[in-house]
Amino acid sequence: MFWLAGAVLIIAYAVIPVIWIVSLSFKEGDDITNKSFLPTVWSWENYRTVFASDLFTTALRNSVGMSLIATTISVILATLAAYAISRLNFPGKRLVLGVALAITVFPVIAIATPLFNLWRTIGLYDTWLGLIIPYLSYSLPLSVYVLSAFFREIPWEMEQAAQVDGATNWQAFRRVIVPLAAPGVFTAAILTFFAVWNDFVFGITLTSSEAARPVPAALAFFQGASQFSQPTAPIAAAAVVVTIPVVVLVLLFQRKIVAGLTNGAVKG
Amino acid sequence: MAAIEMRNIVKEYGDGFKAVNDVSLHVADGEFMILVGPSGCGKSTLLRMIVGLEDITSGDMVIGGDRVNDKAPRDRNLSMVFQNYALYPHLTVFENIAFPLRLMKGVGEDEIRRRVTEAASMLELTEHLDRKPANLSGGQRQRVAMGRAIVRNVNAFLFDEPLSNLDAKLRGQMRTEISRMQRRLGTTTVYVTHDQTEAMTLGDRVAVLRRGLLQQVASPRELYEQPVNMFVAGFIGSPPMNFLPAVVAGDRLRLPFLDVGLPDRATGKVTDGQLLIAGMRPDHFEDAGLLDPAKRDRGALFRAKVDVTEWLGDSQYAYIPFEAGEEVTRQLADLAAELDSEALRTQLIVKIDAMSRLRENHEAEFWADTARMHLFDPRTGANLTRDEAAAADLAHLEEEELRDRVDSPDAAPR
Repeated sequence: MFWLAGAVLIIAYAVIPVIWIVSLSFKEGDDITNKSFLPTVWSWENYRTVFASDLFTTALRNSVGMSLIATTISVILATLAAYAISRLNFPGKRLVLGVALAITVFPVIAIATPLFNLWRTIGLYDTWLGLIIPYLSYSLPLSVYVLSAFFREIPWEMEQAAQVDGATNWQAFRRVIVPLAAPGVFTAAILTFFAVWNDFVFGITLTSSEAARPVPAALAFFQGASQFSQPTAPIAAAAVVVTIPVVVLVLLFQRKIVAGLTNGAVKG
Repeated sequence: MAAIEMRNIVKEYGDGFKAVNDVSLHVADGEFMILVGPSGCGKSTLLRMIVGLEDITSGDMVIGGDRVNDKAPRDRNLSMVFQNYALYPHLTVFENIAFPLRLMKGVGEDEIRRRVTEAASMLELTEHLDRKPANLSGGQRQRVAMGRAIVRNVNAFLFDEPLSNLDAKLRGQMRTEISRMQRRLGTTTVYVTHDQTEAMTLGDRVAVLRRGLLQQVASPRELYEQPVNMFVAGFIGSPPMNFLPAVVAGDRLRLPFLDVGLPDRATGKVTDGQLLIAGMRPDHFEDAGLLDPAKRDRGALFRAKVDVTEWLGDSQYAYIPFEAGEEVTRQLADLAAELDSEALRTQLIVKIDAMSRLRENHEAEFWADTARMHLFDPRTGANLTRDEAAAADLAHLEEEELRDRVDSPDAAPR
């Protein structure tokens, strides 16, 4: 009984804001002041507004594009780096892992302003590349960490067997190690995608126009249907739209992520 | 197929520890060679040096006439079965076996299918070809690992304790299976094990290693009957050889329970009053009451009190405790520690006829085949009574048997 009550409480705590945003996004015009949880009339108006606005659609394109590019590069580089860290002995190996961990805990806001100045000087300000670079520098260490935990668990003999069977180092890596590490690669890719997709700080500081502004930042510049109405409902609709890909990804890869996260965690 | 020649192979680690120390060993073409020894003796390291997974500090590794020291494993054309099988979990049984073929250039899909099917049928894996390793039993996984090894035409097979993860019954079956397969394919094989039963039953010859040093390379029969030292004598045979203190008294030898004449081969090598260690195998004893009268004169009779008996159906073991001096006890404890066992007490283990009705805690009369007793120097462990002529005979017989097998048309490769 106690556990059930606790569970209900926690679920309510987590889900009510989400449902609220969904409900808000369906409220028409001034309906947001109707002082009830649900809309009086369910309406797609806000979604039409959102997709009619260039601000949102270009931002969506920016977000999708940059997230995919950053995720792809990050996962490929992290796979190679993590393999080297888990399999090879080289001086400074611990340092690399230590620095990787340090970067993941480094406050994002602290480098936003310096980057803003630097990017303006060298011309990366308000470009895709200008955002992808900081995204990579934050997501790579995380991916390296997740993946090296994975590689460590793959028995050495797998590779040795492949080598005896006639494989080169590269063939052993590609045909044996990568398939075995696939859950880890998935996990890393999804974590990276989420991190980049949800970024707000870099998105708002390193962009000034629609050229590179991602959705979370673009939401802050949203305007209502008319100049005088608060854009609360359209923002809610936009928020729902950007949440959908994340939810779909999680549902699709749920089992792989869970397997991946625990795989990396249980055995060290 | 090829012969493997090791010349003065040394493996030295960074801290100066020599895991393999100056080992020279010749494995003839088609021969089944066993590397055996207690854990940490360097047998696995030596095998990994043959296959190329471990660097060779010094010495020459020659396979089929080529020095392969600097060749990568893939260029040595060997196949190996790992202790944990190292199957590829993401591939089906078929793809696991086909893996080495897929890495070879110029092997067509039809050829791959033909060879995998052939290997699978030899190992009775045909009905499992579409399954993943995770869904197989231990014995099936072991066979898949073997299939992957035999699917190519390699210079040699290497086995690294392939049966140690199986239960006792399956181990016995697979042992026979490996032996049959090797005889059929006639491929040179090096097999590492710490199990002396596997060593005795599988090998044409057995190389016994101790702390990186080669002790003796000989046929199982020769190891059993003419060991060069106490280590080999104690390692080979189960239950192990009994070691008893023996004091030289003129031309007699005084043992617990027994007083026998000093063997001819030992005279001149020992001094009066010297303490030696006598080695007698459990099967060199018999219950005096059930003894074949023809044998009686060859050995000696003695009375002793039996502590515990173990009846096994086909035979029976009796344990007879005895007191040994401090020096011998210490020597035996050291040896036991090195053989990965524990010397609990000084006792004589005798194997007697299953019909014998002797009772625990009663005295009984036993017969010992003292002619087959060996004498060891307690300080060096060297065997003072090794019969070189008999050993040479056994070696010659083994060689003939191998040549006969390799040359005979029945053993021709596929």
